[in-house]
Amino acid sequence: MSTWQAAFQFDSLVWDWIIAVYLFLAGMSAGAVMIAIYLKRKVIEGDPAENGIMKAMAWLAPFGIVVGLLILIFHLTKPLSFWKIMIYYNPTSVMSMGVILFQAYLVVLFVWIGIIFRKTIMRFLSGRFDFVDGWLKTFGRFENAIELTLGVMAVVLAAYTGFLLSALKTYPMLNNPVLPILFLFSSLSSGAAACLLFGIIGFKESPTSPSVGWVHKFERPVVLFELFVLVTFFTGLIFSGGQSEASAWFALTGEFWSSWFWWGVVIFGMLTPLALNAFSPKALRHSPLFIVVVTSLSLLGVLMLRTFVLYAGQMTVV
Amino acid sequence: MSCSRRNFLTGAGAVIVTTGVAGTAVVSGKSLAYTMEDGQKRYGMVYDETSCIGCTACMDACREVNNVPEGVARLEITRSEAKGEFPNVDYQFNRVSCQHCENAPCVYVCPTGASYKDPETGIVDVHSDKCVGCGYCLAACPYQVRFFHPETKSADKCNFCRDTNLAAGKLPACVESCPTKALTFGDLNDPSSDINKVLATKPVYRDKVHLGTKPKLYKVPHEKGEVKS
Repeated sequence: MSTWQAAFQFDSLVWDWIIAVYLFLAGMSAGAVMIAIYLKRKVIEGDPAENGIMKAMAWLAPFGIVVGLLILIFHLTKPLSFWKIMIYYNPTSVMSMGVILFQAYLVVLFVWIGIIFRKTIMRFLSGRFDFVDGWLKTFGRFENAIELTLGVMAVVLAAYTGFLLSALKTYPMLNNPVLPILFLFSSLSSGAAACLLFGIIGFKESPTSPSVGWVHKFERPVVLFELFVLVTFFTGLIFSGGQSEASAWFALTGEFWSSWFWWGVVIFGMLTPLALNAFSPKALRHSPLFIVVVTSLSLLGVLMLRTFVLYAGQMTVV
Repeated sequence: MSCSRRNFLTGAGAVIVTTGVAGTAVVSGKSLAYTMEDGQKRYGMVYDETSCIGCTACMDACREVNNVPEGVARLEITRSEAKGEFPNVDYQFNRVSCQHCENAPCVYVCPTGASYKDPETGIVDVHSDKCVGCGYCLAACPYQVRFFHPETKSADKCNFCRDTNLAAGKLPACVESCPTKALTFGDLNDPSSDINKVLATKPVYRDKVHLGTKPKLYKVPHEKGEVKS
């Protein structure tokens, strides 16, 4: 068996890469929403609907959550029975609580985007469905409450992707209290990268605008803190001894997944973007190609982190 | 299959009776509740490593009685590396199957309640029609004994023959088929049950108790070497 096969197919593996993509997409959606809410409240002056990052978020956040849930449904052994998961609930199940959260998040997200982009939407509808305008105006009166609710839900959603895995007693590396914090910060970092990439390249936000400046400034402490959380994640496992320690050493020094972690997640996904942003001249930092390279590295790094945690995590059984 | 079946027939004559009646038991209409008029039960099992000879008759009986397709298994007997030198070679066997935990992780994580613990018997079972196939229980089970049934697409595992042998008032297929009586099944709530007699007279251990799962599959450790739970 080749190294690749052994790394992606093993007896104790239950959830494969599809779940990693889903974790990535859901996290990116939540991260983009958290950043957009902050920008709208504290940074953007004038109409937020004119802001490129807000426009990027308006596509990215629903895309992430909708596509994430769709691939999840097709990952079930009985995709056509997915509605049962919305009818039967189990309060002790993290996944079941997540389903409630997802549904509420989706509704509130669409309403919030609708309030912000009401004029754009009505222009697009050009006279049809006039009642939508009235609805959005009514919702608009509760904009602050809706926004804060959505913000809280986005934080919980980002952490949820961690709780989903940390509930698994089977795998000591996943059964780790730090995991939800790690995933919250990796969500923020992927949300920031996606907002910059699509906001600047897709929606022509100026690289020198206050919004872009704020996201850039925000990115650095997020990634640095994420690195620190990674350190606590693994030292915690090592200090626990037994299979927890074994799982950490395997992930950090074993075959395949350790290279994936050190090269993909740490060096190219975190340290390289940090260094490029810190040491490049200002003119270069504002060039489109530079932004594409740096944000793509960050996004790929987060996707690789989710894949790494999922696979390396399932390799060691308690 | 024919070879292992032969093996299993030579191992235990009683098995012929078991498997012969199995088909009719499913449609007999006798429910488990019928056998439980005397209150709540808490079914458990003892697997005696000192008696098991690794004939795997239990695996065949389980497959046949519960219609378990090839490629998956509700019950497996694993064999250790050979210990000692010929002719004094010894093996250690282990039973891998659902432990029917009191605090079953699979039940806690199931989003639909498809995975449940029957309050009447303490048996952990799956409502196939409620299961959507998310795989959360497969991952959550620290004993790694759950699988997706290739035909129903639902999570599946040992249920102590709850809907087959037990419903027909018989012992689970593995217990009936064991030629060396290495398996004892019974009600842990009943002080005079066979299982409580074994538990009172032999040293036993359970797997991964530090996880707080409170498994109801007890094991009598092999006479030699370290007990690895």
